[in-house]
Amino acid sequence: MKEISKLGLILLLICAVAAGLLSLVYDFTIDKIVEQREMTSRLSRQEVLPEAESFEIIENDMLDKVKAENELVVEIYEGLSGDTLVGYTVKSLPGGFGGSVEVITGVSVDGTVTGMRVGSHQETPGLGANATLPDFYGQYVGKNTESELTVVKAGAAGNEIQSISGATITSKAVTKGVNMAVEAYKIVSGL
Amino acid sequence: MENASIFVILVSSILVNNFVMSKFLGICPFLGVSKQVETATGMGMAVTFVITLAGMITYLVQKYILVFFHIEYLQTVAFILVIAALVQFVEIVLQKLSPVLYQALGVYLPLITTNCAVLGLALLNIQYKLNFVQTIFHSFGAAVGFSLAIILFAGIRERLAISDVPAPFKGFPIALITAGLMSMAFLGFAGLV
Amino acid sequence: MNLMKIFKNGLLDENPIFVQLLGMCPTLAVTTSAINGVGMGLAATAVLVASNAAISMMRKIIPSKIRIPAFIVVIASFVTIVGMLMEGYLPSLFKALGLFIPLIVVNCIILARAEAFASKNTVIDSIFDGLGMGLGFTLALTVLGSVRELLGAGSLFGWQLPFAYKPALMMILPPGAFIALGILLALYNVVKSKKSLS
Repeated sequence: MKEISKLGLILLLICAVAAGLLSLVYDFTIDKIVEQREMTSRLSRQEVLPEAESFEIIENDMLDKVKAENELVVEIYEGLSGDTLVGYTVKSLPGGFGGSVEVITGVSVDGTVTGMRVGSHQETPGLGANATLPDFYGQYVGKNTESELTVVKAGAAGNEIQSISGATITSKAVTKGVNMAVEAYKIVSGL
Repeated sequence: MENASIFVILVSSILVNNFVMSKFLGICPFLGVSKQVETATGMGMAVTFVITLAGMITYLVQKYILVFFHIEYLQTVAFILVIAALVQFVEIVLQKLSPVLYQALGVYLPLITTNCAVLGLALLNIQYKLNFVQTIFHSFGAAVGFSLAIILFAGIRERLAISDVPAPFKGFPIALITAGLMSMAFLGFAGLV
Repeated sequence: MNLMKIFKNGLLDENPIFVQLLGMCPTLAVTTSAINGVGMGLAATAVLVASNAAISMMRKIIPSKIRIPAFIVVIASFVTIVGMLMEGYLPSLFKALGLFIPLIVVNCIILARAEAFASKNTVIDSIFDGLGMGLGFTLALTVLGSVRELLGAGSLFGWQLPFAYKPALMMILPPGAFIALGILLALYNVVKSKKSLS
């Protein structure tokens, strides 16, 4: 019994030292980590709503109202140029091929999609992962928000998006994410 | 994944995103314990038991200890300790309840601790934001998928052992190429759910 | 033991991937491109050197009965530290390696070296063993990653090859990993048998 408690104590000591060391490194790196995460988000927001100069997160009760309709919309920012509202950026999480896909959509106040970016995802490299390339995300720029976007295999026109060949599921998921964002925009701007 | 039904989670973890064939988790035991169907089956059962339990316990540890005390950065250390302790516990239980199985599994039982499938699954349950019930089924499905892959593979390797394989390919190289072909077959399940 | 000999042992003679066949999971998973292979290899090397050093330093005070859990705590701590540093200072590599960073904990190479070498040798020797094994691991990952990237994406280290060919997408998907590694291992066996004949 004495030996087991001695062993247990030594193990506990090692764990305590480890935990202490880890919390030190954590304190040292956490600011940089948070900064990295913020920077990535800020960059995406800027890319999908280029007109905006600054971003402000919308009020909680407004976000709750949107989430009540669709819980996969997780973040909405107002894009401002000076003091004027120029549009919104919406982050939604539709389910893709390998898991949730982070879709960030920009919608301007005149009801046009200004941009789309795919953030973190687990889609197949070489196929669905190509949703992060300009050839794909560029398609969403200029789409209007009057009707839902749909995915076609070829010859996309109007509010149609051409799917990535071999990655229909991913293409549909991303488009669904954008449609969710548009719905959210409509709720937030009181349409 | 968090909004998926139990059925989708099971099909996804057993076939579509098979832990060995698509996610590359559990390769070491997959290659190491698959020479015979019998040992593969034993390993599969042991792993299923450990993974399902580990998935549940790590979920609880994450929710009620790590998140509660805001020490999420200790996740890796905490999870691996839970798994190591669980394997030790399973070893003791197995020794008492089924000495035959304990002998058969031999050194492979403690090796389940370093089976990346166990830790990988624990981390994925959190990453996919599953609730407790989903976690149980995801863990179970992942383990069944692992067992399926390892038993199928053992069946093939038993035949390979008595086939005429060119010298440089004998042993692991031909096994890996076989695994590659199996993996291609599993790709066929893509898009099922 | 001669330090260079220890180093060379890890790099070639007892290369963790090609000879000992340890650490297979990350080898297959993260080698979708050469740079990912290098990144994972170096991250694992950092953890291996650190844990080898720490375990060697503590080898006289860790009781044998609890050595495995003790090693695991040390390794897991260094993995967490390397992970945190990567997330803060190398975010794109962190994202690329994803789940496999915490999985460095169960990379059998690290535990195997702790048990087989660090717990029985001096700190300096252990550091060189860690460097040798780690860089051997990195070498294998880089070779595999380069092969898969060249065949599967038509580029090398992100640099698109000037002559056009349709890459075999399968090479950067799971089957390609298994097959590429199988063939590389067979090639290694051919080279090894030729060397022992001469």
